[in-house]
Parts: sequence; C-alpha cells; structure tokens
Amino acid sequence: MSKIWENIFRKKRNADSIEEILVKIPIFQDLTPRELKTIKSILYQREYKTNEFIFKEGDAGLGMYIIFNGKVIITCGNDKQTLAELEEGDFFGELSLLDESPRSASAVAKTPCILLCFFKPELLDIIERNPKLGCKIIFKLAWTIGERLKSTNEQLKALNCQSRKSE
Amino acid sequence: MKEQSNIALKILSFIIIVLIAGFFLYSIPTIVKLVIIAALIAYILDPLANLFESRGMSRTGATIAIFIGIVCLIVISYTLILPLLLNEIKNLKTGFSAEQTISLVAKLEKVIISNLSFLGIAEIDLTGKLQETLSHTGEWIFSHVLDAASVITSFILIPFIVFFLLKDGREFKKSFINIVPNRYFEFTLYLFYKLNAQIGNFLRGQFIDAAIVGLMATLALWLVGLKYYFLIGLFTGIANLIPYFGPLTGAVLATILSIIQTGGLQMAAYVLLAFVIIKLLDDAIVQPVVVAKSVHMNPLTVLLVILIGGKWFGILGMLLSVPVTGFLKVVFHESIQNYRRYRA
Repeated sequence: MSKIWENIFRKKRNADSIEEILVKIPIFQDLTPRELKTIKSILYQREYKTNEFIFKEGDAGLGMYIIFNGKVIITCGNDKQTLAELEEGDFFGELSLLDESPRSASAVAKTPCILLCFFKPELLDIIERNPKLGCKIIFKLAWTIGERLKSTNEQLKALNCQSRKSE
Repeated sequence: MKEQSNIALKILSFIIIVLIAGFFLYSIPTIVKLVIIAALIAYILDPLANLFESRGMSRTGATIAIFIGIVCLIVISYTLILPLLLNEIKNLKTGFSAEQTISLVAKLEKVIISNLSFLGIAEIDLTGKLQETLSHTGEWIFSHVLDAASVITSFILIPFIVFFLLKDGREFKKSFINIVPNRYFEFTLYLFYKLNAQIGNFLRGQFIDAAIVGLMATLALWLVGLKYYFLIGLFTGIANLIPYFGPLTGAVLATILSIIQTGGLQMAAYVLLAFVIIKLLDDAIVQPVVVAKSVHMNPLTVLLVILIGGKWFGILGMLLSVPVTGFLKVVFHESIQNYRRYRA
C-alpha cells in the first residue's frame, strides 16, 4: 500500500450526514459548524457506478474527493496495480488543490459510490471571501500533506531496512 | 463499430442541441443582448461582492449594498452629470454656426476645387455636408452608444438580471456543473477555472482601464477648453473598451470637434498632444497595473475579430469580440490538450 494514497488518518466512523463526514477529514477538522456549512454549500456531490473512472492517471487534477458512500480503488500504471482501497470517509487527490500537475494515479469506483468534491476554484473563492476560513483550510492542508510525507519517509526507511537485511 | 456509431450519435445530438439553442437565442436578440450586458456587469461586480463578503456580509447583503451604491451613483449622475451630458448632446445636435469654422471649411473647399478641377469637381458643398453630418452626430452617439442603457425595459431588466446573477451566480454555476456527465465533470471545472483566470482578469482590467482613460480624457479636454469635453471623454472611455479602434476614434472625434469649435488648428494640436500623453500613460502605467494577465492574441487577430464582431453585431460585437475570441481560444486550446486524456 502506498502511504501517499492510503488514508493514514482513517478512524472508526459511522457518519450519515455530510457535516459528520467533513468534520472527520483533517483539512476540515478545526472548522466551526457554521464554517462546515459554508464548505458543504460549495461541495459538488457526484454519483459513480461500479468500475467507473473518477479520474485517470495523467488527467489535469483540480481538487480532492471525499468518499461519502461506497468504495474506491486507486491504481497506477498500465498493469493497474492497486495502490490503495478507500472507503466511506476517506479522501484523495488533495495535492491537486495546490498543484495543477497531472494526476499520478487513477481512481476507480469499486462499488456504486457517492463522492463529495472540493476543488481549487472553490478554495480560492473561499480564500477571497472568507480569508480566516481559507487560512484554516490551507494550514490543515499543509499539515495533511506533511503527515503523508512523513508516513512515506517511514515506509521508505522500512523498505530500505528490509532490502539491507535481505542482502 | 457499435462504439463508433454511439460517438457519431452523440456528436449529432450535440450539434442538433447547439443549433436549436442557437436558433432560439437568435430569435430573441434583444433579450440575449440584455442578458449578455447583465452577465458582464455581474461578472465585473463579482470581486466587489466578494470583498464585502470578506468583511463579514452575507452574499445577499453584499449584493444589496452594491445596488444601493449603484442607485446613489445613478442619483448623482442624474442630478449632476446627466444635465451636462444632455446639454452637450443638444449643443452637438444643433450643429455649429461659428463663422470661423464656416470660413475655414469654405477655404478648404476652394482649395480642393481649384487643385482638383481636372477631375471635374465643380462644387462639393463641403460646408453643407459637414453641417448635415454634425446635426446627426449627437443623435448618432445617443442612439448607438447610450440608447441601449436608456431604454426603459433595459433599465428594469438589466438591474434585475444583474441582481440575481450576482447573488446566485455560484448556484447557477453549480447547477450547470451538476448536469455535466462524470467523465467531463472535472475537465469542465478546469475549463471554467482557466476561463475565469484569463477572461475575467482581462474584462475587469479593460473596464477599469476604460474608466481611467475616460476620466483622463475628460480632464484633459476640459483643460484644453473643448466645449463637449464630458461627452467626448465619456465616449473615449467607452470606446477604449475596443482595442486599437477605440482610442483612435476618441482622438479623431475630439480633434474634429476642436477644429469646428475654434476654426483653427491650435486647439486641435493640444487635443492631439493630450491624447498622445493619455495613450502613453495608459500603455506605460495604467495597463501594466490594471490589465493583469490578458488573453494573449496576435494584434492582427484582434483587428480581424473586432471588424467581424462590428459587422455582425454592431458596437456590442466590437466590445465583446476580443473576450469571446479569448474564450474560444481557451476552450479549444484546453480541449485539444486534454482530448487524449478525456476520450473513451
């Protein structure tokens, strides 16, 4: 499993409203109920069928997806190697909120699913209209990406150790 | 084979829908025009509403505040600026009667007749033609430039549409995005994002630039002593929205009027000098600051699209030709770039 795609923030969840899902996403954790309501109003809600692509490797990425319902797998390369399997309350693609580089993996719906989509234009709009809320999100986004980086480092270290031992 | 026929069917359906929509819009040109003007105004005012929102106002509150501001501006215009403007238009409509001007034109007429007699020119009645043209100039400016905003229906409909576009613009966008199929969903948002970044900055920049140039022209013409300084200043500002043609038209009109007013060339020289300085200030200071990232287009393309826009849709076509071309350029550029990724 890749630490970049796996949800390292996953906790036991039993959410049934969008706000409940949002409050468990690290990026939105520090937000007040009113701020969460603002975020809810700018999210796009999309439904995907089983095996439907959410995005493909190489697509221009513009934002992150939160799984409200269902399961999503992240695959990479021509052989479609599975990098992670994500479920309700997980999120992916948050790096695209900062960076417009192409998607580094594909996301496919494993089961019928409902996704909440949070995109860069909406984030920029929030920063312009409500700078305090924008700062909170950006700060937590930086923290999230930092955490993923730390986890990836640890995974690399473990792999290095393993390869040395096997030598 | 089946997949190919499916694609062909989809393309055909898309073309039919576009044609029906095009025909429908073509059959109601006045409403389309009003909606376009209102959408442009709402789009230009959007950052102001965002600014009010960032100060803690709700979107509805911000929209109402902007409308109160606009009403105040209209009241000020009605009491201070409109009488001045109407007076200048009335003066222009009555034409000119300065003896100096008539003698100047008569002299010019004599020179033409004496030098071009070999062409068989005996009488050209330049004075009469000029008088006739001038008597229509005021009406022309009024009907072509100001008429759209002065029609009663426009005064009611435009603010009404602007209010709802400004207040609920995000919901409209969201509703539109929601009907886009999953496959093109993120790409459509990406297009919106790119269009907003390029066309939005261009439009807002042009609008602010036109307002500054209009103010500078009004001030300069007032200092020079031109009678119709406010009317020509306003015209120059609006015309400045049309690249290349606009600034030139304002300068030519002001120069002609200065010659007619004084009957000499001294004021015309000052007017031309003022317009050269305004142009330099605009190019060197105003445009680099105000018009940020604009749509990068070849000057020849800009000239051609302005001419085509003018021919097909009049002044509104000239005003919108550059942003519309920029819009199409971004859509085609991004679509071609992403075609491989989004197909199948």
